[in-house]
Amino acid sequence: MTWSKTRILPGAGKMALYLLLLFTAFLILMPLVVVVSTAFKPDDQIYEFPMRIIPRTPTLENFGKLAQNFPRYIWNSCKLTFWIVLVQLITATTGAYAFSKLRWRGRDFLFLLYILSMMVPIQAIIIPQFLIIRNLGLYDNHWALVLTGSFTAFGTFLIKQYFMTIPDSYLEAARIDGASEYMIFFRIMFPLAKPVLATQVIFSFRYFWNDFFAPLIYLTSQHLKTLPLGMADFATETYTYVGPQMAASFISIVPVMLIFLFAQRYFVEGVAAVGVKG
Amino acid sequence: MDAHQHTSRWIVLSFLLPSLIGFIIFILTPIGMAFGISLTNFAGGPRFRFVGLGNFIQAFGSAAFRNSFRITLVFTLWTVLFQILLGMVFALILNRKVILRTFFRGTYFLPNVLSSIAVGLAFMLIFDPQRGPLNQLLRHWGMRPPLWLSGEHTALLTIIIVTVWQSFGYYMVLFLGGLQTINRSLYEAAEIDGAGAIRRFFSVTLPGLSPILFYSITIAVIRAFQVFDQVYIMTGGQLGGGPAGATSVLVFDIYRNGFAQFRFGYAAAESVVLLGVVFIVTFIQYRGQKRWVTYDVV
Repeated sequence: MTWSKTRILPGAGKMALYLLLLFTAFLILMPLVVVVSTAFKPDDQIYEFPMRIIPRTPTLENFGKLAQNFPRYIWNSCKLTFWIVLVQLITATTGAYAFSKLRWRGRDFLFLLYILSMMVPIQAIIIPQFLIIRNLGLYDNHWALVLTGSFTAFGTFLIKQYFMTIPDSYLEAARIDGASEYMIFFRIMFPLAKPVLATQVIFSFRYFWNDFFAPLIYLTSQHLKTLPLGMADFATETYTYVGPQMAASFISIVPVMLIFLFAQRYFVEGVAAVGVKG
Repeated sequence: MDAHQHTSRWIVLSFLLPSLIGFIIFILTPIGMAFGISLTNFAGGPRFRFVGLGNFIQAFGSAAFRNSFRITLVFTLWTVLFQILLGMVFALILNRKVILRTFFRGTYFLPNVLSSIAVGLAFMLIFDPQRGPLNQLLRHWGMRPPLWLSGEHTALLTIIIVTVWQSFGYYMVLFLGGLQTINRSLYEAAEIDGAGAIRRFFSVTLPGLSPILFYSITIAVIRAFQVFDQVYIMTGGQLGGGPAGATSVLVFDIYRNGFAQFRFGYAAAESVVLLGVVFIVTFIQYRGQKRWVTYDVV
């Protein structure tokens, strides 16, 4: 009896384990399947039961209904995300270099402040930040988002950690050869840091492509709105246009999902890098 | 090493300024200003005056604020609990040799990278009380399904479910990272000593994970206090806050007071309370990780 128990139980346990894993995967993926499938369904098929994954008569009419406003929103999102990602890359790499490879008084203290600021949620400082932006005359202007998004404690930390793994002897050798700090930064550090720069770019892309709170606060004009803001307008309308909603969600999800599919490693590394710091 | 002295001030500044400008103007100054504004009745106009702790007294006396603080606490308790629990369970499972391990890891982490607005819209469709696929299915099985987002007692629960759905994978990745740092030989030693699976978990895995566990809880609590997007999108936009204010979390109250009613002084006082919570949680993490966390199990 005991013999058969020990033999069967691991098998049954394994079975249960895989069922759990598969069921959880189903729960995770199902809502995304609903988005994709509903995006291509005509209005009268959306609430059909049982729900069909492949629409009976696939249509693009939901996307057509977005044609008036959404190209503008998508363009704004692309433009803003591009600029913020670029600006963050500059501020994070230069900051990381100053904190890892240059020596100056107050370095560790300032770095501690940077790190501590990671804990401060934007929501907790949005009132004064908004007042500063308004006084600068940048309310309802894309610059508000580029400037308030320019500093990244996470990125500076991430890249600094990586820079510290590059031996100082490389830099010393270059300095003796008469290279300036700028040359070392561009010619040595930048090329060596490519993997971590990819992580940083992907992280800030994901963040700002999805960002909702800051655009909600800083943008009101229709022609300046980003994709998530445009999508949120659906929530305040009395009649719900489910088809176009899912079409818009589809547009918002697809780029990130594609990048995730091909560069999952970088997402995971970014999370782990900050986590291991503890 | 010290042969190389401090770098010239101008070179340091040129590397530092790009990040420092944003940090000072848009992070550091606002933190300071939040305290200042919270002591005034500032409403955006040129005329305002110092009111001392008036805003704080008013807030703690107001039903709306107390309600939103209570809702935020409930939201925090449940999301943190389930995110950490599920994150840990799936990290332990997927740390073993499992078929399709990469697929499962990737799938569970995936929602975390998606727009919370898109996710919110998707779940509004799924949880639609009348025609949504979930309730149709429950009715098909002969149940009386809940109203989900439209129900006074289920709206917050629904938002908790969506939040956990979206972010437990993040904590799973953190724990998977933490598990890599545990020395394999400790397990072998424990096994030789005759420790069973449960014993091994409590005397090797958990102590080994304690720094990451502590960090994860801190992050999860701070994030839970920030919750806003899901509430805004799923329970009614600017005028929302859910049925009978059931999902009016702290940041939503800040948003409404600040940006719908322009009571900047009062909203700043609420922000200071939020900052206080963040400070306390961070402080506990900082002190606690020295006292309670085991770093020596390497």
